[in-house]
Amino acid sequence: MEFSGFPYLTAILLSCIVGLLVILFIPAENRQAVKRVSAVFSGLTLVLAVGVFLLYDTSRGGLQFIERAAWVPSMGIQYFNAVDGFNLPMVLLTGIVFFTGVLTMWELETRVKEFYAFYFLLVTGVFGLFMSLDLFFIFIWYDVSLFPMYPLIAIWGSTRKEYGAMKLTLYLLAGSALILPAIIFLHVKAGGTTYDITALMRPGTFSAADQKFIFLLLYIGFGILAAVWPFHTWSPVGHVAAPTAVSMVHAGVLMKIGAFGVLRVGMFLCPEGWKFWAPLMATVAVIGIVYGALVAMSQTDLKFVVGYSSVSHMGVVGLGLATLTVDGLNGAVFQMFAHGIMTALFFSAVGYIYDRTHTKMIPELGGLSRIMPVASGYFILAALTAIGVPCLASFWGELMVFIAAFRVYPVGGAFAVAGLVLSALFMLRVVQRTFYGPRNEKFAHLSDVSFRLGIPRMILAAVIVLFGLLPSILFDVINTASVAFIRGLP
Amino acid sequence: MTAWTLFAPELTVFAAALLFLGLSLGKRPNPRAVFLAALGTIALAILVSLASLKAEGVLFGRSYQVDLFSQVIKVLLALGLFLVVCICSDLNGVASRHHPEFYLLLFTCTLAMMLLASAVHLLSAYVALELSSYSLYVLVSLRRTREQAVAAALKFFIVGIVSSAVMLFGLALLYGTTGAVYLSELLQALPAAAEQPLVQIGLLLTLGGFFFKLAVFPFHIWAPDTYESAAHQVTAYIATASKIGAIAILVRMASVSGGSPYLVHVLVALSILSMTVGNLASIAQKDLKRLFAYSSIAQAGYVLIGILSMSAEGFAASIFYTLALLVMKFTCFLVLVVVASDGANIDVSQLAGLHRRSPLLAMALMMAVFSLAGIPPTIGFTGKFLIFNAAIERGQLPLVLIAMANVVISLYYYLLVVRAAYLLEPEAELPKLQLPPALKLLAGALVAVMVIAGIYPRLILEISGLAAAALVK
Repeated sequence: MEFSGFPYLTAILLSCIVGLLVILFIPAENRQAVKRVSAVFSGLTLVLAVGVFLLYDTSRGGLQFIERAAWVPSMGIQYFNAVDGFNLPMVLLTGIVFFTGVLTMWELETRVKEFYAFYFLLVTGVFGLFMSLDLFFIFIWYDVSLFPMYPLIAIWGSTRKEYGAMKLTLYLLAGSALILPAIIFLHVKAGGTTYDITALMRPGTFSAADQKFIFLLLYIGFGILAAVWPFHTWSPVGHVAAPTAVSMVHAGVLMKIGAFGVLRVGMFLCPEGWKFWAPLMATVAVIGIVYGALVAMSQTDLKFVVGYSSVSHMGVVGLGLATLTVDGLNGAVFQMFAHGIMTALFFSAVGYIYDRTHTKMIPELGGLSRIMPVASGYFILAALTAIGVPCLASFWGELMVFIAAFRVYPVGGAFAVAGLVLSALFMLRVVQRTFYGPRNEKFAHLSDVSFRLGIPRMILAAVIVLFGLLPSILFDVINTASVAFIRGLP
Repeated sequence: MTAWTLFAPELTVFAAALLFLGLSLGKRPNPRAVFLAALGTIALAILVSLASLKAEGVLFGRSYQVDLFSQVIKVLLALGLFLVVCICSDLNGVASRHHPEFYLLLFTCTLAMMLLASAVHLLSAYVALELSSYSLYVLVSLRRTREQAVAAALKFFIVGIVSSAVMLFGLALLYGTTGAVYLSELLQALPAAAEQPLVQIGLLLTLGGFFFKLAVFPFHIWAPDTYESAAHQVTAYIATASKIGAIAILVRMASVSGGSPYLVHVLVALSILSMTVGNLASIAQKDLKRLFAYSSIAQAGYVLIGILSMSAEGFAASIFYTLALLVMKFTCFLVLVVVASDGANIDVSQLAGLHRRSPLLAMALMMAVFSLAGIPPTIGFTGKFLIFNAAIERGQLPLVLIAMANVVISLYYYLLVVRAAYLLEPEAELPKLQLPPALKLLAGALVAVMVIAGIYPRLILEISGLAAAALVK
């Protein structure tokens, strides 16, 4: 057993689990108590996540906050949590989206208790996955974060919710159907004694042929969750069907699990496979960027627009990972963080608008900024971030990725930038058609975001601006991991 | 004296069977008293089985092996019967004058399964198998709505005797080619004789008799009708306890067969067919019990993967999965018995509104079907994980990939069950389900076991590992 100081990471998991248990024991009629308890525990989680982020020593780098204990010794399973430059931003992101998601759903009135119970379970899985360095636990957390999605979307969702929920669950489970055999295969090939990633990633553990084969399984398996083209179709449908907070977690965090899994499991354990398949990854990523942007242009449903633009933006992450460079990795992880916050704000704003107007269709909404200037403002800020306007978080991630991509894949990089220009075009068009123009009198009586309901959106907007102005806070952290990782490659 | 203690669990169950034989001869006993008697005797049997967990020895002229493996299986069997008796307090599917016979047959069937777990003589295994099958044939026909049940029992019976005949033929071939009647002799004779086609065919046909019990393709055709037509409690017994005995003897047979490549190939094919046929057919089912029938055919395929690994890890995984199947299948039937309290069959859609009628049962059902689908953190996932681990160690990665594809297919219909319980609203408002405190406790305990054994399986893993080690030593 090994614990370095106060177990912050376990405390984060525990505050989710204890929160879940407390919620389960509150009578279902007492909705307000359920919401307050959720806010308290998710707030505690956020505080802990921020604490870990601030306490992480960037001058030392490497794995910190190590918590390790034998779990099932006969099979080599360990409870092993730690953070490094790759998962630390993800833990922070999850904390922020979790807390703001709870606040965003403050107006929920149907089956409140069950909603928050499933929501807490989902987030527990996400946190666990990001922190864990044991393959067995990574898989467990992966599925824990998936299966609550089905009830969450199917019960509280909208627009073809049952279809969306079923499609999403089956697609993501299909991904895990590739991951599980791959993980067991790696375990067996390494002598069948450990699932510890730090032990398995020693060079020479796996033959090059095995790495090529297993990386492909892991890439497709996790890639489905990252909405890598052509396995992305579950994602826009799922986003559209899901209730606001679930869309936020889903697009903001869950899709990052996919990219993070490719990085942490695929690239860490099968670097030869990564090198071998990198050109394919880059091609697929560029197709995703352009394709997502093109499809988003023709959508009339606001959530579909965001859903497809997410496919495009996750393509940027994929492209960064495929460059095999420090800059590319830095950019990809930064983009994962920035995109997570940005889509959370997107869906949070759309959720507010939809709750009031009961429509997400762009033509019906026209001129909304005259009725709800603040709510529109949040959406427009998210849209500007998506376009990659400088001084907003997403800009830095995309910049780094494109710099790296132009060096490694000049043609692909050019296409990707063209895709980005397209995305700017469609975003501006969406903004113009939804929020400007003549106002729709039908909605004239609706009220704008109050200060209290605005809190979660303000937090998200503040984070976007903060990391847009001071990207080095995040880059310093990520850089410690990516430099060491690229240098350690065989 | 030692012989008696070695045989204690079987004797306890046998005494209980005699008790119910006596009750069935008497005049109209009070159903409540019969139920309590059954509950008490089976609880006693669990204690006796636990007490003799460490027993070791041979009985009846080397034909009966008592080792950790057989004793673990006997505990599971007693536990399985106990659980089934727990849901018999309102035995509405069976006429009350038949209640003593109902328990009599449950106990004789369990006794037979216990004998099967220890049988190391080919003929004693055959006799034990027949005893359990005949008990079940009658149990199936006991349902109150007679015609359909009798038809199903007849079908069950015919498939059963055909597979018995096939098995006897296989035994004859084995004896004819190797001259062995004891499994230990077979173990010595097989490596040399394994090249002979007749030996391989004999072995396969012998296994066929056990495949019938486990409902492995192509011996599965009795399952859907039987599940649908039998009383809920009988179906619960067939789906849970009776599978334990089948898995036990299959594991024991596999442990002596030495894992010839030919046999493994056939088992791989049967496993793939069982999983695929079971899962694809499940998608089309409306009746909840038929759905469980097909899903248990698919589950039999997963169990075979553990067995065909032919290693201590594989056998340990199969034993673990046996317990997992017992817990998760039983949870489903617990929900079924409470929801369909009048003893009639229900469709999946009739679970509508369960989340309001009984949040506890809805949660138990959701955990059970997710466990059946193999989603962590549940016992079903850990079981599948162990099985796949053992298979990949033996180079069966393609088989595991096929199995995982099947897991995804199965998730579709399991999600439909969750959807019915959590999403659908009943057409007419249904009253809340009143659960007796004991059943509430049972449901809570089952959920706890499913989750805890999924998160922290260490203890069960160690026991099943030791049991498997006793088998291959």
